[in-house]
Amino acid sequence: MTDPPTAAGPATGPAVTDVHARIDAVVKLESARIVAALMRVVHDVGLAEELAQDALVAALEQWPAAGVPENPGAWLTAIAKRRAVDHIRRSRRHDRKAEQYAREQDQPPEPAAERDDVLRLMFISCHPLLPTEQRVALTLRVVGGLTAAEIARAFLVTEPVVARRIATAKRTLAEAGVPFALPEADDLAARLSSVLEVVYLIFNEGYSASSGDDLIRPALCLDALRLGRLLAELAPQEAEVHGLVALMEIQASRSAARTGPAGEPVQLHEQNRGRWDQLLIRRGFTAMLRAREIGGTPGPYVLQAAIAVCHAQARTAADTDWAQIAALYGALARLLPTPIVQLNRAVAIGMAAGPEAGLEVADALLADPALRDYHLLPGVRGDLLLRAGRAAEARREFERAAGLARNAAESAFLRRRAAEITVPEPAGRTVGEASAAFLARDDLDPATLRSYGQTLTRLGRAVGEGLPLSSLTPDLVSRACVVAWGDAAPRTWNRHVAAIRSFSAWASGPGGERPFGAAAGGLAPASATGNAGVVAGRAAGGAAGLGDAGVFAGGLRRRPETGGRIAALAGPDLDRLWERADVAVRERTLWRLLHESGAGVRAVLGLNVEDLDLDDRRARGGAGRVSWRAGTARLLPELLAGRTRGPLFLADRRPGPGRMPAEADRCPDTGRGRLSYERAEYLFKQATGATLRMLRPR
Amino acid sequence: MRYLMTTRPTEQSADETLYAEMGKFIEELTAAGVLLATGGLEPGGVRVTSVGDEITVTDGPFTEAKEAVAGFALVEVRSREEAIELTRRFRRIVGDGESVIQQVFGP
Repeated sequence: MTDPPTAAGPATGPAVTDVHARIDAVVKLESARIVAALMRVVHDVGLAEELAQDALVAALEQWPAAGVPENPGAWLTAIAKRRAVDHIRRSRRHDRKAEQYAREQDQPPEPAAERDDVLRLMFISCHPLLPTEQRVALTLRVVGGLTAAEIARAFLVTEPVVARRIATAKRTLAEAGVPFALPEADDLAARLSSVLEVVYLIFNEGYSASSGDDLIRPALCLDALRLGRLLAELAPQEAEVHGLVALMEIQASRSAARTGPAGEPVQLHEQNRGRWDQLLIRRGFTAMLRAREIGGTPGPYVLQAAIAVCHAQARTAADTDWAQIAALYGALARLLPTPIVQLNRAVAIGMAAGPEAGLEVADALLADPALRDYHLLPGVRGDLLLRAGRAAEARREFERAAGLARNAAESAFLRRRAAEITVPEPAGRTVGEASAAFLARDDLDPATLRSYGQTLTRLGRAVGEGLPLSSLTPDLVSRACVVAWGDAAPRTWNRHVAAIRSFSAWASGPGGERPFGAAAGGLAPASATGNAGVVAGRAAGGAAGLGDAGVFAGGLRRRPETGGRIAALAGPDLDRLWERADVAVRERTLWRLLHESGAGVRAVLGLNVEDLDLDDRRARGGAGRVSWRAGTARLLPELLAGRTRGPLFLADRRPGPGRMPAEADRCPDTGRGRLSYERAEYLFKQATGATLRMLRPR
Repeated sequence: MRYLMTTRPTEQSADETLYAEMGKFIEELTAAGVLLATGGLEPGGVRVTSVGDEITVTDGPFTEAKEAVAGFALVEVRSREEAIELTRRFRRIVGDGESVIQQVFGP
């Protein structure tokens, strides 16, 4: 075997590091084509990627001394293809095929065939068989040419984790025998949406990264844009592809304008439009035109791009065509009925048809548990309320939003907005003040007070600590409770209800000094005067005595408890659960461990890596002993990925500066915090509709 | 990051092969999402000079043709090395001559 000719002469010149930098550049530019060309020969993405890697090693050995070849991409492809043929010959099964490839390999493929190969490669690396995180890693690796280390840095995980994701993905694809072919027509839409999802996810990971500390992350936007633009050439007949490209181009056009000098976020309507990148905007418009030319019913990406186009077309914020945007959000909400889309729709309607119309949509979202801790809901409501002239409520919503925001800069911004609103001091005590006074009682034991404290903190967050106690109506309290604990176990629900009843009774009693009047609506008829309400409130309080619901807990009912036992998930449900491929390894491990150990959720989440004894399949944590069986044991090495200390289950992201957890709850290597009970419960709920405690065996 | 590659004019005239090869190269880079804009520039042009309050407008051609720019390409790449690699490929197609690569800042 002879290598292809290299450019004349050994190097008088380039230093080895320069050669490395050049190789890196070549790989990033050519990776997709090299791996795709190999796939054509070996039909196995894992093998193709290894062969490409081998060719790279050959280049690293030869180029520093022999000089970089004239066409480095072609050189790498040729070397890798020869190794592929050798590999096939060694396997001795496809001799004729190998000979045929050996003859063909030096002929450059037709450009059209080459393009199709790259498209096939993208469909494979984004195969729905793979969990999202594996799709993302594999696509960036084989199509984007990024190293595992680069991907790890961009997604704030360790390199072994990425390497393992890529390896698992390759193995899954090989075992499933996924063919190197374009999807069949009836499968195309689903397969394409899987590709688009990966590209947009990569883009958002880069776009939503906090500014500054790591330049790799904004570079992800470029990688996603490249993938999208490439895809648009490969599948030009798909409107949604152009829609996604248009959306990314226009969003990327604002990247310079969307943060202020101190890194604080700048809202769209306050951005300096002169800093929007007109070149990218025009590219976005062009992509949008291509999508429109294809026609058909607009999909979610085309609709989102159309919204982005509306903003980009407005010379000033005041010129924005909000009616059009509201209509587009309406169409999007029919395709993607998520609360976030609805919230955006509320903003657009508020701008197009006035704050009251916007509030109507936004208020409906208050009952959605998914937005319970989402700061933008009170943020948006604050805006709308302020414009509707309801200043006191607006201020409370901004305060509530500031308390919920995770990003310090954003929280400060919301607090400033609240402070800018001057309203007369509310008469009487606020909910926050009353809670504090209630909890300062000395006639309750510490455990009860702690439990009450949790309930009242959540209540305060839901209705706003600054709400005057006199405005706390039974309706408000009922809604807050349903959103917060409506889907909790009856026993949990009853605990919180009892706490609120106790608070309510205390507040309406002599010690509570609650200003009686306006808000006793739950007990008095709607037509009753304030005076009648007082009488009714007092009468009820007096008659029922201790533990009475009081004036604002009137809408709350206890729920029957099912003998204190929670229904456990049954065999078939569990089998299906263990087989789910769309779930991240962290969740699969957690669920298995909870089931196999029968331990409490908090005990399991509290485990640290150094507590584990992998050989004996047990751990001794702060909350006692936890042991597991084969299912967990199989998953743990992948989850650990070489980690030796810190929390076993980690959160997805590094904590923001305002929410830094204690050192014991942080991974010393990646800086990520311990996975919270709330988040783990939420993810399980999303995936199964059940609660984590139902994983305990009967 | 973005780089602007500018190319100095040369004496050689382009033949059909070169046009075909350049066409293919441009198509490939556009498809890969790397090439944002490209174009050729007229020789000469108009020179606008300001000294104090005075602004002078002069029509070309100008004598110091070496400094002139004959064409440009605006590329979006991950690194300087990628920009250099692309320019190498460009130079290999167009033959003897000179190109300059500069990073573009802003907007």
